[in-house]
Amino acid sequence: MSAVAARRMTDKSLIVVPYRRVSISALATNGVLILLGSFFVLPLLWMLFASVDSNPDWAVKLPSLTLANFADVLDRPDAITSFRSSLILAGTTTVLTTVLALLAAYPLSRMHIPFRRSFMLAILFASGLPVSMLVVPVYQMYVYFGWLDSLYTTALFLAASSLPFAIWLMKNFIDAVPLELEHAAAIDGASTLRILRQVVLPLTVPGIAVTAIYTFINAWGAFIIPFVLTYSPENQPGPVEIYNFMGSHGLFKFGDLAVFSLLFSIPVIVLYLVMSRYFSGAFNFGGAVK
Amino acid sequence: MLSEVRFDGVYKIFGAETAVEDLNLTVNAGEFLVVVGPSGCGKTTTLRMLAGLERPSYGRITIGEKLVNNVSPRFRDVAMVFQSYALYPHMNVYDNLAFGLRAHGASGAVVDQRVKETADVLGLGHLLKRKPSELSGGQRQRVALGRALIRQPQVFLMDEPLSNLDAGLRVQMRAELSRLHQRFRVTTMYVTHDQVEAMTMGDRIAVMNTGRLQQVDAPETLYDSPANIFVAGFIGSPRMNFVPGRLATAQGKPAVEFLGVKAPLGAGARLTRDTDGGEVMVGIRPEDLVWRQVAPAEGTIAFPADVDVIEPMGHEAYVTAVCAGETVTSRFPPRSGVRTRERVELAFDPARLHLFDANLGDTILQRPVAGGAEAARSVREARMDESA
Repeated sequence: MSAVAARRMTDKSLIVVPYRRVSISALATNGVLILLGSFFVLPLLWMLFASVDSNPDWAVKLPSLTLANFADVLDRPDAITSFRSSLILAGTTTVLTTVLALLAAYPLSRMHIPFRRSFMLAILFASGLPVSMLVVPVYQMYVYFGWLDSLYTTALFLAASSLPFAIWLMKNFIDAVPLELEHAAAIDGASTLRILRQVVLPLTVPGIAVTAIYTFINAWGAFIIPFVLTYSPENQPGPVEIYNFMGSHGLFKFGDLAVFSLLFSIPVIVLYLVMSRYFSGAFNFGGAVK
Repeated sequence: MLSEVRFDGVYKIFGAETAVEDLNLTVNAGEFLVVVGPSGCGKTTTLRMLAGLERPSYGRITIGEKLVNNVSPRFRDVAMVFQSYALYPHMNVYDNLAFGLRAHGASGAVVDQRVKETADVLGLGHLLKRKPSELSGGQRQRVALGRALIRQPQVFLMDEPLSNLDAGLRVQMRAELSRLHQRFRVTTMYVTHDQVEAMTMGDRIAVMNTGRLQQVDAPETLYDSPANIFVAGFIGSPRMNFVPGRLATAQGKPAVEFLGVKAPLGAGARLTRDTDGGEVMVGIRPEDLVWRQVAPAEGTIAFPADVDVIEPMGHEAYVTAVCAGETVTSRFPPRSGVRTRERVELAFDPARLHLFDANLGDTILQRPVAGGAEAARSVREARMDESA
């Protein structure tokens, strides 16, 4: 065996053999990760435990089991109406945003529009602006138009504020649909409407799902805008209701608060589970080009 | 319903870039025309203009009697096979094939029948329920082909349809495409950068370079009488040898002097014009340049050269040799025993020489047509079949 060949073999064995050992840096990394993770897990644990605890307080502790908190919350009519309000608010916002984002993203993705790049950058910038900045002028505008205290007009503003990011998101999904598919369909004799309906739309489903979920979750958890733009109790969505739990009802009812928070997160989880099959796997461009 | 396709003075200009320049080209009805050229030569742009995906900057494009410059792709009655296949990934094979018919409002029964027929022709019958992602490259290629066939269009457009297949499959599909064309005789424009595809499949070949059409002819004509240095170098593998030479006379007849030898141009050969200072580029194909030992003594001329590289191909060998600073490739028999740096004698038949203007690059030699022009082979018969 030549010297070169011998060295190559040793080099190879050095590379191939995996060797794990506990090092200080690995310990440190994992330690930090556990610490960071606990910041996210602890509040969730508190929510779970407190919801079934007969005597909950600030601390995370093992509960003395009861379902009384659930009964308590389900007895409160304002808690139930806040669910209805949240559904109307988030649902309207999601439908509006998704439809508008799709209609805006398609031409932005496919057509030669002057200053398209600058426009997209402006959109990205707009999506980064904090909404609370706009609350005062928007409030004045709503007063002027007489739009205050309606879930649908509130949804209008929520939709407007989530639109920039939604357009950006959707455009990237449409960009991923190969243009050649549209050309092929056009040569096959399909009208523009048919191409959009039967080729582009089905392939954009993951993008629509992602945009819809993202928008829904944001609208579902929106606090400041509905807090400012609605006032009657029957129009208060969940997050504002949670605030009411904490403030205007005298003592903190930790158990009720935990139960309500728990119930309030269920729709988001369900939505995620239902939509997740559209995210990947079920739809991809495999076999489309090449 | 055979239709002729015509490009009349067509230009396509992208900004400062002229992709296609003054294209005048006719694809005869029922003809299989291959457009070939290096990448960026404008061949794909030409095809896309015919498909309606690009609009010509100037000029006229007609399909049959109809001017189609401003006709959108969907009303052109053409079908296209894309290099990437462009199958609809969310539809199964059946729906991919049916898409075009449905778009044209065909009834369910008609669609069903035609899909079955097309699938049978292409051997896709057992794959109708599969999605494109569950097909092999060759199968995808067939579906893409089927999607074009099923429509029974006036014109087929193919954009390098075989370039994503592996070598073996490519040869197989090449034959299959030729067979399909024999059977259906649809006017076809086929774009490729592969000269083998061009030579084997085309009734005629259009060679393009830098946006300009260089020559359109039947494969053999193109090979035997290239119009210029580009075509001569592009068609044929290994590439034609080019060496500088000078026009001369031998016994009062036109001759050319190069690599230290003087070669008469042969009986019937005629120079179309004189060149600047008599300078020419002499072209000689490697298969026309052989080892002295195996060349006939009569009528050949030989010159010495030093062997540089030997490439054995099995049934023959290509020997690259240097003579007077010029490198030439020649064809040797297998197992010739010739070695690198050995001095050999290379022989050629002067009747096989090509002469080009050294500056302008176009051919200046006209030879009597050998074997008769076989232009647009079998197209005429096809047309007669059609009318019968």
